[in-house]
Amino acid sequence: MVVIDGTSENDQIILATGGYDHTIKIWQTHTGICQRTMQHAESQINALEITPDKLCLAASGYQHLRMYDLASNNPNPTINYEGMTKNVTGVGFQEDGKWMYTGSEDCSARIWDYRLKSPHAAKIFQTSSPVTCVCLHPNQVELLVGDQSGVIHLWDLKTDHNEQFIPEGDTMILDIDIDSEGTHMAAVNSKGRCYIWSLTFGREGEPTKMHPKHKFDAHKCQALKCRFSPDATLLVTTSADQTARIWKTCDFSLLQELTQDNQRWVWDAVFSSDSQYIFTASSDGCAKLWNVKSGHMEREYAGHQKAVIALAFRDAVA
Amino acid sequence: MALYNNKLWLLSHIRDSFISTDDTGMSELVMVGDEVPKQLADKLDCYRDPEDSEDDEDISQESYDFHLDMDFEVQRQRSNTAVRLEKLDNAKKRAAKVKNIKWEFCSVPPSEQELTDLFVRKEPRKNVLSTKKSLLSEKLEQCTNLPQNPYIEYAKFDGSAQVGILTRKYKIFLTMLPEEHRNYPMTVSCIATAKIEELIGFILLKCSTIHGDFPLKPVSHYGLYITEEDGEVDHDFPNLDPKESVAKFGFTCLGLVEHKQITKNVSFESSQTMIQIDGTQQITANMHLMKVHTTAMEAPLYQSYRVYIVNKMRAKAEIQLGISGEKIEIDPLQQKNSKFTFVRQKPVSHHIDSVAWCEVTDTKSSGTAFRVVYSSSFGGNTANANVASTQSPILQTSTSFKHYDFEADHNTAEEIVQKINLILELRSSGSRKEYLASKERKQRRRSFHSNK
Repeated sequence: MVVIDGTSENDQIILATGGYDHTIKIWQTHTGICQRTMQHAESQINALEITPDKLCLAASGYQHLRMYDLASNNPNPTINYEGMTKNVTGVGFQEDGKWMYTGSEDCSARIWDYRLKSPHAAKIFQTSSPVTCVCLHPNQVELLVGDQSGVIHLWDLKTDHNEQFIPEGDTMILDIDIDSEGTHMAAVNSKGRCYIWSLTFGREGEPTKMHPKHKFDAHKCQALKCRFSPDATLLVTTSADQTARIWKTCDFSLLQELTQDNQRWVWDAVFSSDSQYIFTASSDGCAKLWNVKSGHMEREYAGHQKAVIALAFRDAVA
Repeated sequence: MALYNNKLWLLSHIRDSFISTDDTGMSELVMVGDEVPKQLADKLDCYRDPEDSEDDEDISQESYDFHLDMDFEVQRQRSNTAVRLEKLDNAKKRAAKVKNIKWEFCSVPPSEQELTDLFVRKEPRKNVLSTKKSLLSEKLEQCTNLPQNPYIEYAKFDGSAQVGILTRKYKIFLTMLPEEHRNYPMTVSCIATAKIEELIGFILLKCSTIHGDFPLKPVSHYGLYITEEDGEVDHDFPNLDPKESVAKFGFTCLGLVEHKQITKNVSFESSQTMIQIDGTQQITANMHLMKVHTTAMEAPLYQSYRVYIVNKMRAKAEIQLGISGEKIEIDPLQQKNSKFTFVRQKPVSHHIDSVAWCEVTDTKSSGTAFRVVYSSSFGGNTANANVASTQSPILQTSTSFKHYDFEADHNTAEEIVQKINLILELRSSGSRKEYLASKERKQRRRSFHSNK
């Protein structure tokens, strides 16, 4: 059982934010009160992820990935993962917590034996261009790696076989996501365009087949994140155009535009487990909670001194 | 009590006590890393009471020392070097606590078994489309009617755990709270660029999250006052200007006070004008003092005034009154307008040491009357007067002292009285002492009679 700051009622919900002010904040979601602030002194935070056991928070920064203890009040990291030579742009975990994956601007994606239990888990995948995003297929054996040259690599962790997809040449891929059913993949690029593929399972040992399905201009300029809702009916894209947009996956029509005056770049977004709410992180130093149906902002999480870049959220079933 | 029966907790507490009381940090460096309590946990399992086991799940086996919030850090003034050394030391300690894991790539290829264990192909869940409500939604629905904390906008001034920006730490006494919460200050850290009103808002936010049920009013209802370390608010100073940056004030101990009415405050401008006011006041005071000194110094210098002398019949005659440190002279002036002079005033001169007293006797719109008392027995009669005073003070008083009554316009009268008194004070003649003594005796007798 995770206990954050002694508020046992809230212990199943964790919202963490981080960004350019070198701090990570943990929030009480329904009140908007900051429960805890952790220090990430050496660099900005590029990405945040909560371990599957909800005990730790991983924060990726420049050259390092740091692990924070969620169960204690320690404001400092407990583990420091090093060996990457540039920004660590993405982090995630195998669903049972067997290993961790990272993407880095040093042109690599790595699989980490982060608990030091199975040294053979460590793997590295080199790309020709800095890695901007990493996404694990729900089948838990294929890692999608996006890079600055506009290539999406499909890396099979079991066989080390890899395939490349180039939706638009020389246009930086900024984020990739696959829905929980593993039937659709979305990717956004620096021109604000969103690409959709439908996926079909490869039989045992064979890679997933990707079929281009749709492409649309999601934003006027650079799109930063894309994420499917847990029920796979919605897709959210965030952008430098100061908006986050929610699209229906049935026809990719716009459902909501989440925007607020002066919120500046919207860097990250994440749905609640029932797809009813969405959190966004923006350069105005705030994280915000929006009602998907109404498009209204319901809560604001203020406290960061600079842009909020990354969100990590764990919900639970009531 | 469960804690004290818990051997693991006790062990942890002893370790923490070592670490927290050892300023050198050595014990911590020695002990860090080896998770003795956890290692012993299994061994000690047999000692654990079965009924305790449930408590142990809830209670962390770390003692409270390590749960202490950063809020309780002891603050004291230290030299820069000490602070820097401590920072280095802390960084070292922090580094010692962080486990470093370097990227390592195993050159030995994993076995087939390991591969199958690690990279298991899973079937993605189907029909995720569920109607189950999330805990977040439930919580939000539960508190839709809950008013949002009115101070939430001040959250961004939080200075705790900030990296690389200037912050200010304060001990805040919350005077509006019930007695039991008032005794200890709340440590508040805010960013140095915040204004006083924003600091107040942030204090109220923090206060409202800790003392949830206490009604708190808008930020403008409160003021921050300079406060003693023991929490005594210094009301001699007005509250800090809400519009000013916190960085402009150097006080670390402040009291949050609810205003009963709108009060003035210490702003930087007003404190400057206060200084200015003080300055001008000081100058005025100095000028006044200089004037007094000059008057006192000039008092013995000869000065003549045109005043009226008033006789017992209330008849007036204009005379010239000359005053110096030596003597007082009365010279009659030629009466121009009247043929008849009711008062015949001979020119007289009294040695200043014969003059005993001078006072304003009456202030009318037409002019101010003043009296000069002199000793008629001054000079050769001094010895006799002394004898007389010992024998019969009443007689002596009635015979020795006479007076002149004058009248002049208010300013002149004031000036003359002041001048004469200054001279008298300087000289402090025998006549004056005598007169004062007799006056005192009279007063005593009067009170004696009235007491009868």
